[in-house]
Amino acid sequence: MNIDLTQAALKFTPFHNRTSRACRTNSWYRWSGYTVVAEYSTTELEYTATRNGTSVMDLTPMYKYEIKGERAKEFINYFVTRDLSEMKDNTVAYVIWCNEAGKVVDDGTVFCLNQNEFKICCAVKMQTWLKDSAEGFDLDINDVTDDIAALSVQGPTSCSVLKNYGATNLESLKPFESKDFTIDGYSVLISRTGFTGDLGYELWTNPENAEKMWDSLMESGKHLKIRPMGMHALEMVRIEAGFIQTGTDFVSTEHALRPVRMRSPYEIGMGWLVHLTKKDYFIGKRALKAEKENGTTERVLVGLDIEGDKPAHGAVIYNKKKEDVGIVTAALWSPTLKRNIAIASLMRPYGTKIKDDIFVEIYHPEELEYKKIWATCKVVKRQFYSPERRNMVPAEVY
Amino acid sequence: MSIKYDVIIVGGGHNALICANVLAKKNKKVLICEARETCGGLLTNDLTNFTPSFSNKVKSEIDNISVDHSSVSTIALSETGHHLKLTGNIYEDKKTLEQLAPEDVDRYFKLQKKLSLFSKTLGSFMHSSPPRILHKSFSDYFKLFKLGLNVRLMGRNSFNEFARMIGLNIADELEDNFKNTLLQGLISHDAITGSNLGPRSPGSLINLLFRMANHDNSLFGGIQQVKGGVNAVMKSLEENVIKRGVEIKTSSSVKRCIIENDQVKGIELDDGTSIHANTVISSADPKSTYLCLLGAEHLDTDFKRRIKHYRAKGRVSKLQLVLSKIPQFTNLESKDLSQRLVISPSIDYIEENFNYSKFENLSPEPILELSVPSVEDELLCHNGNHIMNVQIQYAPFNVKGGWENKKAECINNVLTTLEKYAPEIRSCILEQEFISPNDIEKNFNVSGGHWHHGEIQIDQLFMLRPIPGAAQYKTPVSGLYMCGAGTHPGGGMTGIPGKNAAHEVLKNI
Ligand SMILES: Cc1cc2nc3c(=O)[nH]c(=O)nc-3n(C[C@H](O)[C@H](O)[C@H](O)COP(=O)(O)OP(=O)(O)OC[C@H]3O[C@@H](n4cnc5c(N)ncnc54)[C@H](O)[C@@H]3O)c2cc1C
Repeated sequence: MNIDLTQAALKFTPFHNRTSRACRTNSWYRWSGYTVVAEYSTTELEYTATRNGTSVMDLTPMYKYEIKGERAKEFINYFVTRDLSEMKDNTVAYVIWCNEAGKVVDDGTVFCLNQNEFKICCAVKMQTWLKDSAEGFDLDINDVTDDIAALSVQGPTSCSVLKNYGATNLESLKPFESKDFTIDGYSVLISRTGFTGDLGYELWTNPENAEKMWDSLMESGKHLKIRPMGMHALEMVRIEAGFIQTGTDFVSTEHALRPVRMRSPYEIGMGWLVHLTKKDYFIGKRALKAEKENGTTERVLVGLDIEGDKPAHGAVIYNKKKEDVGIVTAALWSPTLKRNIAIASLMRPYGTKIKDDIFVEIYHPEELEYKKIWATCKVVKRQFYSPERRNMVPAEVY
Repeated sequence: MSIKYDVIIVGGGHNALICANVLAKKNKKVLICEARETCGGLLTNDLTNFTPSFSNKVKSEIDNISVDHSSVSTIALSETGHHLKLTGNIYEDKKTLEQLAPEDVDRYFKLQKKLSLFSKTLGSFMHSSPPRILHKSFSDYFKLFKLGLNVRLMGRNSFNEFARMIGLNIADELEDNFKNTLLQGLISHDAITGSNLGPRSPGSLINLLFRMANHDNSLFGGIQQVKGGVNAVMKSLEENVIKRGVEIKTSSSVKRCIIENDQVKGIELDDGTSIHANTVISSADPKSTYLCLLGAEHLDTDFKRRIKHYRAKGRVSKLQLVLSKIPQFTNLESKDLSQRLVISPSIDYIEENFNYSKFENLSPEPILELSVPSVEDELLCHNGNHIMNVQIQYAPFNVKGGWENKKAECINNVLTTLEKYAPEIRSCILEQEFISPNDIEKNFNVSGGHWHHGEIQIDQLFMLRPIPGAAQYKTPVSGLYMCGAGTHPGGGMTGIPGKNAAHEVLKNI
């Protein structure tokens, strides 16, 4: 296929020649200025690959920033709410960062390459925020999104696939560790991280190796149920895993037009990432401390287990008196769990002290008519699915 | 760790000393660390010549300052020799105007009356901490309510007029009212002095109101010349605080504040010495205080953005001329030279000057304020010679080409302009000393070298001064306060920021 790149309004990722060939549906998704596959063949099959084999997904559009300098570590620890003062080389941490009001700007992963060099990987464009935050730290901050070809390789057979591919001893890599490999003469950074809640890895390489890497991976997984996965299937697995998504489950402070739409970490289930005992100051600490001390948190993000089998997309949540107490931000009939699950934002004390007698009103479309379903639901842990293999060391090898 | 001091004040300008005086009167043990060899900061005879007098509210809280001073009048120089001298005294000014600007007499006093009503309203807020915004406390809302109420209490018509004028430019107001261009030029001059606004810039009127609030709510009254210059004020202030047990360390530049757990614990000097105290008050300008003394790692991103955007580029340079003899000014007697002479003949003259400075260039015909105070006060002579102080408005910070290359050109422009009024000026000069805003930044430790440590404009005043979220002399770090010209209500020799800050500190320790 010959595509004139200069005519394209959206950028192609370095995998485009491969992903477009594998995409049988011609169904695309617009992601941070790139176009990526929404569905290759059937979303359910792609989903199944993640849960029963290995899925490969093009992650290139995730924003990636490189932070270099003598005070890089001090800066990262100031930038995020989590205490990373002990972060070791070749590890990865899941983090969030806030603004001065203690509202979440974005979540993402921090890669510690060495004590003076870090990378941040996230969903929202962060160059300005990073630069302005780094004022006074004398650092080198660069957007390296286009310089890295990134794939996620996830599922129970993913370790085996990558071992076949050439990642020797990969099974000993612990969750949130990363390692540099040289494979076929090019270097690949493999981290045991992912957005699927399953055993899985993410791979970074130079864009010039992208197609080679894709081909070798497909070859290595030939007998291990490998399959490329599109964005639709990703949405399914991430809901099962209970991962939140910026723009869906909360609005980034960088995008919120109304201050009241901004959310504190405590409101989106990220309180565990806020380390108020951290020795040094971090952005938003004063506000978060005050929120914690004064108990002014207004909302809570919970998992819901909903009666029936009709996914509660965007449904409004009510209490016994039919008062509106929240909204569903993401919903799914989980094929693995055989449960009707959802992530929901509730007004406290609903979801915290009051967990019973909560209802959702589901508008289920049926051939041009809506069926209104009044379903009871239970507040449950948001991490609906978390198989043991996800964190096992050594990782399962087939 | 022994704590010897209740409070450490960074910097020893007049606001610092007044703050120290108020605190020491309440038996607080205070240490002042000043980077320069002497206290005084911008309040030195080299920079600051004519000042308001301290208000009673300030005087009543500090020890008596024993200086003599005299009121000065302002003389707008005219190339034709028809100089306009205004004193602030209604009868004298009326006589003068009847002669020189007969059509403008009534309007002048009407305008002064109107402006002074507004400046009084603004002035009534100068003596207490402004309400905080971004905080949701009752007392802050109450203060805001009171500010609103006071403004309303001026009466409906005045209120409407106030609302109309608050964002207005001074040129529109004057051109609507006056025929005499010299008068227009003079009033505009006082509206833009020390600022980065032109007479046609929106908001230039509030600068004038601000100035009037510090000068007896009058256009040209309330300006004083201290015997011995402002150095004498500083000397007296210094003696007073030392008597109260305040310790002053000069040549002691503070490198940073020591912060533990978001609480200030003291300071570290450039030489590495640490001195402990649970309260530190910075009289340094806001940018230095936050970005250098406190450090970016203690501030939120949004806060840093605001402080970075705080406008504080100085536009006033100073030229001191040591004279072999008193130069003859056309149509002036030599004793008039001790008064405030202003070369700012029209609004257009100022606006054209402003255009040069907007693009960081020099004007060939600058706006000047000058005097030879030594003709009345021999204490101000230099080795027996008279000194002329010349203030050059719109000689900008970071001039294009750099001050090291532009100084000579600027001095020449000043002298060429002066020659129009005092043709023999060049032959009277023995020595000259030029101080640019960049020199002020470097030698007086004020980032941007700004007169008020930052622009006096509607978005940088009251509860917005220096920036939203840091008003009330407080900073986000507990125990760290500010007391310099960068805080409410701003700069000039008023001592109000220092006094107000002391009150805020006393509430908390
Ligand atoms: C050119 C010019 C002309 C002026 N003319 C007039 C006038 O005619 N009338 C009038 O009323 N006002 C005038 N002013 C304004 C007036 O002088 C100032 O607004 C006022 O003096 C400010 O006082 P302050 O105490 O707040 O600050 P400053 O006088 O600036 O004092 C701050 C002190 O802190 C010290 N400092 C800063 N950082 C440190 C550190 N890290 N460690 C230790 N010490 C430190 C500085 O050295 C300085 O001494 C003029 C200003 C300028 C620049």
